[in-house]
This record gives sequence, structure tokens and C-alpha cells, in this order.
Amino acid sequence: MLPEFELLMPRTLPEALEMMDESSKVMPLAGGTNLLVDLRGRLSRPQTLINIGGLDELRGVRVEDGYIVVGSAATIADLKRNALIAKHGQALRQAATVFANPLIRNRATIGGNLAYGSPAADAAPPLLVLGAEVELLSKDTRRTVPLEEFITGVRKTVRHPRELITAIRWPIPPEGSVGVFRKLGLRKADAISVLSIAVMLLHMDTGDCDQLRIALGAVAPTPIRAAAAEDLLDGGPLTPEVIAQAAQLASEATQAIGDIRGSAAYRKRVITALVQRLLTNLAKDTKEKKH
Amino acid sequence: MLHGRVLSSPYAHAHVKRIDTSAAKAMGAVVITFDDIPTVRYNERIITIPSVLHKDHYVLADKVRRMGEAVAAVTAETEELAERAVRAIKVEYDVLPVLTDPIEAMKPGAAPIYDTVLLGENEIEIDHNIACDRSIEQGNVDRAFAEADLVVEGTFNLSKVYHAQMETKSAICRPEPNGGLTVWPTTQSIHNVRILLGQIFDIPLSKVNVKRVPIGGTFGSSIQMNPPIPICAALALKAHRPVKLTLTREEDAHDHTRYGEQIHLQLAAKKDGTLTGAKMEAIVDIGAHNIQAYSFLGVTVGWLVSLYKIPSVRYHGTAVYTNKAPSCAMQGFGNPQVTFATESLIEELAEKLDIDSLELRLKNYVGMGDTFWGQGPLVRSIVNSDGVPELLHRGAKAIGWNDRPKSGSETGRFRSGIGLGRGFHTSGAGAPQPGDVIDFSGAMVKLNVDGSVDVITALMDHGGGTLEALNRIASEALCVPLDKVNMAPAETCSTVYDCVTHATRGVYAGGGAVLKAATTLREEILTTAAHYLNTQAHALTLRLDEELGQGVVYTPSIPDLTMTLSELATRCWSESWKTIAAVESYRPVHCPPAYVTVFVEVKVDTWTGLVHTVKAVMGSDCGTVICPKMAIGQLEGGLSKGMGYALYESNAWNTDGQLISGGYWIDSKTSGISESPRIDALAASFAHSYEPSGPFGAKGIGEAAMNPVAAAYANAIRNAIGIRFYELPITPERILIALKKKERMHEQE
Ligand SMILES: Cc1cc2nc3c(=O)[nH]c(=O)nc-3n(C[C@H](O)[C@H](O)[C@H](O)COP(=O)(O)OP(=O)(O)OC[C@H]3O[C@@H](n4cnc5c(N)ncnc54)[C@H](O)[C@@H]3O)c2cc1C
Repeated sequence: MLPEFELLMPRTLPEALEMMDESSKVMPLAGGTNLLVDLRGRLSRPQTLINIGGLDELRGVRVEDGYIVVGSAATIADLKRNALIAKHGQALRQAATVFANPLIRNRATIGGNLAYGSPAADAAPPLLVLGAEVELLSKDTRRTVPLEEFITGVRKTVRHPRELITAIRWPIPPEGSVGVFRKLGLRKADAISVLSIAVMLLHMDTGDCDQLRIALGAVAPTPIRAAAAEDLLDGGPLTPEVIAQAAQLASEATQAIGDIRGSAAYRKRVITALVQRLLTNLAKDTKEKKH
Repeated sequence: MLHGRVLSSPYAHAHVKRIDTSAAKAMGAVVITFDDIPTVRYNERIITIPSVLHKDHYVLADKVRRMGEAVAAVTAETEELAERAVRAIKVEYDVLPVLTDPIEAMKPGAAPIYDTVLLGENEIEIDHNIACDRSIEQGNVDRAFAEADLVVEGTFNLSKVYHAQMETKSAICRPEPNGGLTVWPTTQSIHNVRILLGQIFDIPLSKVNVKRVPIGGTFGSSIQMNPPIPICAALALKAHRPVKLTLTREEDAHDHTRYGEQIHLQLAAKKDGTLTGAKMEAIVDIGAHNIQAYSFLGVTVGWLVSLYKIPSVRYHGTAVYTNKAPSCAMQGFGNPQVTFATESLIEELAEKLDIDSLELRLKNYVGMGDTFWGQGPLVRSIVNSDGVPELLHRGAKAIGWNDRPKSGSETGRFRSGIGLGRGFHTSGAGAPQPGDVIDFSGAMVKLNVDGSVDVITALMDHGGGTLEALNRIASEALCVPLDKVNMAPAETCSTVYDCVTHATRGVYAGGGAVLKAATTLREEILTTAAHYLNTQAHALTLRLDEELGQGVVYTPSIPDLTMTLSELATRCWSESWKTIAAVESYRPVHCPPAYVTVFVEVKVDTWTGLVHTVKAVMGSDCGTVICPKMAIGQLEGGLSKGMGYALYESNAWNTDGQLISGGYWIDSKTSGISESPRIDALAASFAHSYEPSGPFGAKGIGEAAMNPVAAAYANAIRNAIGIRFYELPITPERILIALKKKERMHEQE
């Protein structure tokens, strides 16, 4: 059962920031799909929740100065059906499609997904390859933090208790970029990722790989970029040999742990196989597109 | 109405030293602890006859033996207040060593989980945490093995999975001015709840009235009286107010599981595939309470010898206490465990002898005319209906059995395989002589003045359509249109005893009772009509008149001599004579096997270890199919639950006895609709079969539908990747580990 708590219902963003400023015992409530579960399990004991899920300022997806800007309270279901996301955030859209179940998708927000700081957050790998930043606002401060620096450990972020995530933004990817996302869960739906992978290919004119980004979820204390693998692939052709090597490097980048969903060894092994497969498919697709 | 909450132990094994309830009481809550409950030790499940019933349970614990065991409970005006009050209770525990592994628990020096329990009315000592054991032997086992051409064997590990039934355990109890109780519980047996509450709280049964509440599923979790029910009763009696107590899902997941077990099985055979003998050793992890371990040990070998004709068998089963959730019946009562082991070894035997495993099954299975004792050594009957050959041949054709790859011959990333599992469940636990399990039903049927019929039975329906089937049986037997037959709401004070809806007995035994009562009513109808029509009862008969929408009494030779059932009942009423009604108890003297065959085709991803179900073909011999759509639903549901058992579900405890999932479903992995094969790739059909002892030829289906599924999956995976798994669930991780091991062995060769 839920413990008792006070629930504040701000009508505007400034009002919410005002409430956030008043005490450090407050906690924002967005979709509640992480928070309410933790409250039931007594893993989190805030005295006051501030419901930010209904704030218009935090909803919606828009284009602004060459960036895609997603309001932190946009739900996963919003992302799934949004045309801008379909075009400029392909991997994120795919992640939204395999996220939890329809009920949860209607409640869960992108801001909550990142703020919770889970290594298995499905929005994180796609946002990492998109080069996303997190916009943080408090009553008196505003700052933007690259997502890579935002999550610092299991359930740890750089967010100050008085700050709200207001938006997540990334530069509009160049025309022709391709993004993909794969997750492995123990069921086909309604499963937390045992591991997840996002890959994004920016520009592929010459058959060489101009820039390729790989991000991995649930295989380290935070979602990570596989930098060594990316470097290897940078600027070269996607040959089977290079792909195999990159997959190996990606796996080496992990610091997987074992938990109820899978052992460290399993995660490492499957990461290799899946990175290899995703890259092979990408190479094939881009070749086909050219012909 | 007040709301109740339970204080559950955070420890898996501890003495409760002191409880301070003052803060909770100061909030206005009514609190109960061990000191407030009757010191009556009981077994929640009274299906075993009293003399061999082990009793180790109190309403609240003075010593906790599993995480989540109820130590105290509160009731208050609101759920919120009850929650606050229950958290204000302070308990001091003396923490004891925790035993989660039955093998460890049996070792000398292991902490005793119990010192004594009651067996019947006698106190007995518990040694080495062994709750009970059982040895059963028939034939000449040593000779059978000595003369065998081949012996196959395996050690199979089966996990304690959670029932994941639709609603969590719940009860409402209302104390009555006469000192009695009215109870609305989640249960599979309202009468057993009544008897237990009467015994524990020393209330005459006439004053304990338990009502039937529709429930959406149990999978066996409510055969026994659920722990919250007597707690709720104790709260209501102390507060003198009605109380509602419902477990949260997390609490419920800590409460009961399927029996976990390690089975060592050996099968001996001749070159031609004839089975000659078996040796079986079972170590059963019963968790913190003995719910029905003695019977469980009996059926464990019963399932084996009723699957296949094995003339000589030596069996020893040991039931061991551990500090985990109590094990209880769950869809199959040990049958899926034994069928998994047996069907795996049958397949292995066939491979080694180079015989088609389907033929091997046909050669050895227990079928028409054979003796059958699935429900244990005392529950014997002869098989009188057998659709197994039909189901096997039809299924083989539908799945493409003869074209399946040779085991392990597939290469590449995705490897396909086809597997077969064959099994059964008994329809009830009836036999010519009563055994150690109580099995009888009762029903009342009465004719109303408009020719409609009330069916009154205490049988439960857990979403399987059992009660609908009973209406159909009454309608057929009395020639009354189905829409004029109604199943009355049931409560213990106005129904006759029905043991419980379990053991796949609902339609066969519960329906048998309705048929018996309806047959008596029919006699009463004819006798009464004979009086009005100036004839003899045996000159009359009944038919359904579709035009009148009525049952009609008539005699074929004098067409005018008729009376509708409405006319008949109305005359009995207006002439102040009687209600035409009948009441019967019915004990089936057979428990015919309801056979099921399952073929599955899987695709194994050798990169991730994920198993995808491509196709499933299920066949059932449930005799006459009374509700075809509901019966198909049972087969599809059985596939889903069996698939969960085979591939996904596990309930693991850490060495401190904490449930690792915390009871959260996100990681308890029942299979969902996305795991099911596509609707056009899921075939379910029935054998043309008629069970002479069943109501209109019917047998059961429910548990049978699930029993062979895990075996079918294991065999399909074996066929796909050439590896046999002896442990469930067959997770992606286990598949990858096994594949790697196999690769390494190939490299070494
Ligand atoms: C059944 C189920 C299935 C799930 N499946 C998945 C899955 O497939 N993939 C996945 O990634 N996750 C899954 N989750 C987890 C969860 O749904 C997601 O992490 C979700 O995105 C959390 O968002 P929310 O809006 O519900 O967050 P909330 O629960 O409202 O909040 C989570 C945390 O973030 C903080 N917070 C929320 N919004 C802000 C903000 N704007 N600024 C600052 N802090 C904020 C809250 O204070 C809280 O600490 C699942 C959860 C459940 C219950």
C-alpha cells in the first residue's frame, strides 16, 4: 500500500519551481510509474510530491533553433506517435514502441525515465546516440547538461533536488541519418531490458562510415557510449571484419553486473552478438539504399 | 466495514520475542497477535483425511518460518489508518539460521524449522526438517533393471513458481449477533473454509456461513483456506465489526507457490522399446508449511505409473521443510513436474533405441483397459475411454512430425525444432474405496412452477466455465431449455457439501452430482406426473418441446396424455402438495484420465538464447465436450501457463530467504499474450471419445491442458539445438551456457 504523502498540484511551471524551492523533502511526480512503485515498496519516502505531469509547459515536441526539443513530461506514448520523433529520433521512436506496455506508456514520461537514473532506462541509449542534452531549471538557475554527464551512477544523476528537468533536446540529425534500437527482455512486452542497444549512423555517402554512434543500456552502472567501437568504425567501410572487431570492443566497454534478469557473462556475450547484427544490418541497408 | 492489514515478517526464520502494539492501539486500531488467536494448530487444506493430516499452522505465528508470514494484524476505519497502525507495531525477533535448500535442510545439525507438528491428533517430532516421506514399490525392480537392454536417467530440477492467479487472496468477514460469522472469501471450497473456521474459532458450523464469490482464477492457490481468511475472521470477532482484508500483489506473491522438487528418474527398457521398470527419487521442497505433502508424495509416483505401463517401480519421496513460501497444489499437483521428467526420458529412450518417440509412447502408454492410479496408490480405476492414438496421429500430421529435423542437425543462428509432450490429469480423485483424499460432491435441483430449474451446488468456478457446464448437464438431463436453468448463488448454510473444485473434477464429479440429483428429480417428476395422468411412472418419459420452450412429460403410445413441467409443478403448488426437488451426494468411483497431447514448434535464437513459439497443436480427450469454447480456452490457457513454466517463470529466494523479485510482477515473468503463437498457428481439437462413467460422457480438462506443455518445450528445444535441459525454466541464459559448453566439447573432439 502507498504511504501517506502530501500532493501539490502546481498550475504553472514557475509555480512548480517555487514549490521545489521550498524544501528538499519534495519530489516531482511525473507519470509515477517508477515513483509510486518505490513508494509502495518504501524505497523512497518523500513527504511531498509535486505533480508536474499536467504542466502544459512541459509537454509536446517542437523544433527550435535546429534542435528537437521534447518536453520532459511528454509521455512515451506521445513519443511513439509523434511525427517529429519518427523523422528525427528514429531510435527513440523504436524504443518507445517496445517500452513496457500500453498502460505504462500512457503515463511514463521521458523526463522521469532519465531522472530516475536507471541503467536500464530505454530512452537513454537512443538519446545518447542522438547527442541529447538535458535542460534543468530551478527557481533561480538554468543549465543544460549533456546526457552523457547527466546520469552518474545507478539511480544517481547530477540533478540538484531543487531542479526540474524541463526538456530534452538534440540537434536535428543530418538528412539520411539512420537510427536503430534493440532491446532484449525476458518477455516480448512488459519487460525491463536485460540489455539494450542504440546505433546511429550519420552520413553515409561514400560507403564509408562518417560517424557512427553506439550506446548500450543495462550493461554498466549508467547507460554508456561504446567509444572505442565508435572510433574504430569512424571514417572506414563497414566490412564484416571491422564490424566483428567493433562488436568485441563494444562488449569490452561494458561493466555488466549480474541481477535477477541475467548474469554479467550473458550480457557481455549477447551484446557482442547484437551489436554485430545491428551493424551488419545497417551496412546492408545503406548499401541497398544506394543501389 | 473496517479494513484489515497484516504485519508480515521481514525475516524468513525467527522467534517472535516481543510485540509492542500500543502505538497502533493508540491510533484507534484493533490489533491481534499470537496471544489473541485460538491456539489451535490446523492444516489449511482438509482434503486429506484427518488421520494422515499434518497440522503445523496457527492463525498468526509465534515463530515465523518464511518471509511474509503473518505476525500480527490490525483493523481500522480506513485502509490508510490500518496501514499506519500496522506500521506502528514494533516486533522484536530472535533471528534464526535460514534454510532455503532442502538438501541442506536435511543435513545433521541444520536448524530445526519445527520441533513438533500434529499428525491427526498426535504430536510427532520432526527430524532433519523432513515433514514426511513415502516409499512405494511394485513388481520386481531389481530383476527389471537386470534384464533391461537400456536404462536412461536424469535428475530434474523444478522451481517453485507463483500461481499468478487473477485476484489476490481476500476475505470479508461479518460477525453475526448469534455469535457466528458470515464470510466472503477467495476459495475453491466454501465448505472447507466453513469447517476450518468452525474448528479454529469453536463456533457451531450452523453459525458459520461461507458464501461463494465469483473468482477469476486460482490455479490451485485457494484449495486450502488462504491465510488471510482466518486472520480476517479473528479481526472481525475481536472488533465486533465486519472487516475486509485483501493482500497486495506483492504480499500474495510471497504466500504460496507450486511444489519445487528434484526428481531423479531412471527408466529401464527392452530393445523393442517395452518399458520394464523405473526407479524414482523425489526430494520435495514444501516450504514453511506442510499443506498436503503426504498426498503429494503419493501422487508423484502415481503420475509416473499412470503415464506409462511400468510393471516394476521403486519410489521414495521425501518432503522437506524450508524457510520459503509454502508449496501447494498448482495446476497439476506435481503432475507437470513428473511429466516433464518422464516425457524427457521417453524422448531420450526413443533417440537411443532409434524408435520414433510417438510410436514408443503408443507402445507403452496407460490406455484403454489398463489400471490407472494417478491420484496415488489407493485411487485405482480402469481406463474406459482413450483418445490418445487419435490425438497423437492428428497432432503429428498437423505439426509435421515426420518431417522434423534430426535432433541437433540444424545449423545457423535460428534453429527450429518440434517437440511432443503427452500427459493427462485425473478427473477428480474418486475410487471404488475411499483413499486418503476426500472426494465427493453434492447438488440440489428443484423444479419451479414455471417449469424452470434451480441448480444449487457449492461447487466453485474459477473462470473455467464449470458452473455453465453444470447448467448444461441439468438442462440435458431434465429436457429443460438451457435458458430456463439457473445456477443459484451458493452459501454453506443452504448447500450440501462439495469437497472442492480441484483435481480437474469440476465437470466430472461436480457435474456428476448434478446429473445424479437431476436423475432423481426426473424420477420424482415422472412419479408425480403419473399420479395426475393416471398411469405408471415407468410408462412416462420426458422430452424438450422446442415450440413451448418447455419440458414435457408424455407417454409415446398415447400422444394426448401429456403435461408440461410447468403444468405439473403448478398443480403441485396450487394443490398445496409439494416442491419437486432432489438432493444427492455423489462420490465418483473412477477417476478417468483426461488425456492431452501437445506438439510445439519452436525457433531458438542461438545468439540470444530466446525461444520463440512458432506453432502449437493441442489435443484433448475430455470425453464429451460440454462447452466447446470454454474447453478450447482451457487448452490455450494451459499452453500459456505451461510455456511460462517451461521458459519464463521462476521464483528465487536468496540465502536469507528473501524473495528476490520482491513480489513484483515485472520480474516474475508469467508469459503474456505476446508470447503465444499467432492465433492461426495455435490449433486445439478434441478426441472423439466418450467416458462411460462421466456425466453424458464427459471427463475433465483443466490441469491436463498444462501438464505436458513444459515437456513438449524441452523436447522441441532438444530437437532444435541437440541439447536436453533438466532444469526449468529453460531461460535464454541457460540455453547460451549449454550451447557454449557443447561448442567447447566439439572443439575438444
Ligand atoms: C510495469 C512497468 C514496466 C516498465 N517498463 C519499462 C520499460 O520497458 N523501459 C523503461 O525504460 N522503463 C520501464 N519502466 C519504468 C518506468 O515506467 C520509466 O522509467 C518511466 O519513464 C518513468 O517515468 P515517470 O514519468 O513515470 O516517472 P516518475 O515515476 O513520475 O518519476 C521517476 C523519478 O523521476 C523524478 N522525476 C520525474 N520527472 C522529473 C522531472 N521532470 N524533473 C526531475 N525529476 C523528475 C521523480 O521525482 C522520480 O524520482 C516500467 C515500469 C513499470 C511499472
